[in-house]
Amino acid sequence: MADIALKQVTKKFKHNVALNAVSIDIKDKEFYVIFGPAGAGKTTLLNTIAGIVVPEEGVVTMNGKVVNSLEPEDRNVAMVFENYALYPHLTVYDNMASPLRSPKYRQPESKIREEVHRVAKILRIDWLLQRLPSELSNGQRQRVSLGRALVRNPEVFLMDEPLTHLDAKLRHQMRAEFKEMQANLNTTTIYVTHDYMEALSLGDRIAVLNEGRIEQIGTPDDIYYRPATEFVAQAFGEPEINILTADVVNKGGSMHMNLLGNSDHFPVPAQVKGILEDSGLNAVRVGFRPKDIKYSFSDDSASSLRAAVYSIEPLGSKAILTVHVDGRLIRLIAAADLEAKPDQPIYLKFNVDEAIFFDPETKRFIARAGKKGGRSVG
Amino acid sequence: MGHKNPWNQALKNAALALYALFALFPLFWMLLISFKHDREMFNTIFVFHPTLDNYRVLFSSGEYIGYFLNNVYVSVGAVLLSLVVGVPAAYALARFDFKGKENLAFTFLSFRFAPEMLIILPLFLIYQKIGLYDTPFGLIWVYQLISLPFIIWILRGYFEDISPEIEHAGRVDGYSWWRVFLKINMPLIRPGMVAAALLSFIFVWNNFTFALLLAGQDVVTSTVASLKYISSDTVHYGQMAAAVTISALPEVILALLIQKHLVRGLSMGAVKG
Repeated sequence: MADIALKQVTKKFKHNVALNAVSIDIKDKEFYVIFGPAGAGKTTLLNTIAGIVVPEEGVVTMNGKVVNSLEPEDRNVAMVFENYALYPHLTVYDNMASPLRSPKYRQPESKIREEVHRVAKILRIDWLLQRLPSELSNGQRQRVSLGRALVRNPEVFLMDEPLTHLDAKLRHQMRAEFKEMQANLNTTTIYVTHDYMEALSLGDRIAVLNEGRIEQIGTPDDIYYRPATEFVAQAFGEPEINILTADVVNKGGSMHMNLLGNSDHFPVPAQVKGILEDSGLNAVRVGFRPKDIKYSFSDDSASSLRAAVYSIEPLGSKAILTVHVDGRLIRLIAAADLEAKPDQPIYLKFNVDEAIFFDPETKRFIARAGKKGGRSVG
Repeated sequence: MGHKNPWNQALKNAALALYALFALFPLFWMLLISFKHDREMFNTIFVFHPTLDNYRVLFSSGEYIGYFLNNVYVSVGAVLLSLVVGVPAAYALARFDFKGKENLAFTFLSFRFAPEMLIILPLFLIYQKIGLYDTPFGLIWVYQLISLPFIIWILRGYFEDISPEIEHAGRVDGYSWWRVFLKINMPLIRPGMVAAALLSFIFVWNNFTFALLLAGQDVVTSTVASLKYISSDTVHYGQMAAAVTISALPEVILALLIQKHLVRGLSMGAVKG
């Protein structure tokens, strides 16, 4: 049970800066998700906390104590590796028992037997205990790797993309099981993923990492509704948010955006207007989530924008509709049974109350009219 | 499907049998003449009166045992030293990155390229000067040129096949670096170590050039000792054959014993993909 903190941690590999002045603060018993694309530095971050990698600059503390020079075996952390890292010459039982047989965390054999069986039962691998890792499927190996961590009673659980290499169905299943496990774990957990669905569903808080830097730290609501940068907005949500550049136009007392060649249909919400005026910006970047754009095939041109169908991707319960207007593509969510021909005219209605406004220079968040999402940190 | 294969199989078996005959016949012949009297040596081929005289002469003087034991000391010593030095070297080459790493690795391999005759003369002079001529340690040291490259190159491959994540997992589980090396790395490279050690052992056991020219009086190995059977007036083929048979025995026995440790694919399943 521990607080973990990283202050200005920098780690370089030859000329590549993997972590750049990263500072995060993890509270005791928190389920903390570190989210980022491939190469962002997530595994390096986890390795820094585990002690496998020593940072060039910065301080790693556990419970307030600086642990930079503490060896991994002394830190009392349990880690689940992305590629499972099972000992190939030991059976499943011995793999799971191995931490409890180490000099540091030794337990008597009777206790070991009890613990291994208990965890194996929870993970439903109790019938595999005598097999070798080479005789298991990927899903089974992942559970053994998880089991090896769960038999311990560590200060913190570190999980490096544990669900990444499982097939989609198993992944969704395991995500639900993780959620349940998380409630029972009662231990600080740091979970690394590049899947935004896992991040949003499992995390108490999420830290978004990009190219070694923290983009934003916040609750799932913060991250989704008030993303700090365009990168964060684009990373969360499938299909991706549509971010468009718009000129700000003042029309008789109210502010409008000149968007997609049209300014009548995009009034700036009142809550945002004040902030925009203060910033003195002439142009903004505005993002619309696909679910905040409505469509219709009948011309209701009073408030609709005309576009043309580009493609439809049916996905079972819904479909992704891509349309093109004013030279660019916009993605929407549509009903699963939608039928349309390419280049067929279609009329869009944008919900500006849910739109997210970004500064065109810094790509950072300016304002949003909707109420959801508290103040974000960073 | 059916009609061609039985003939193919029979043909393949026949070819293999022929090759086996070709390869094994000299050994069989050697075994045979070790049981023959000198006077029957050039007479019949397979029908003769077997005798243990050759072996009796060999062991009676007690000299041969000495040569045999010398060979044992020097060969085992060389392989052990190679393992002690080579295993960490292989680990370093597999895991760490440093300037000139590939050059160094290739240098180790290059020891095997040069024929021994090439360096024997300068080495002889150097050995004389530093007093290592005709000493067991001198031979063990020069045998490293033969045994070390195998150990380093084979084990480097095995270490590279072990994902570093497995070592990390061991550290996080509570084992110190050294314990991880002993309990996780060593069992996984054991097949490689056994194979490399056996190969090295065979080459140093059979070595003739170095044993002849850098030793010879006090330290006489069984390979060099077989020269003694070529005396000025006659060649005692029977005794030479007996000496060589006994000399070859350890290698054959070792190879047979070690087979069960040469297990492939131990690492499969440890790491995804």
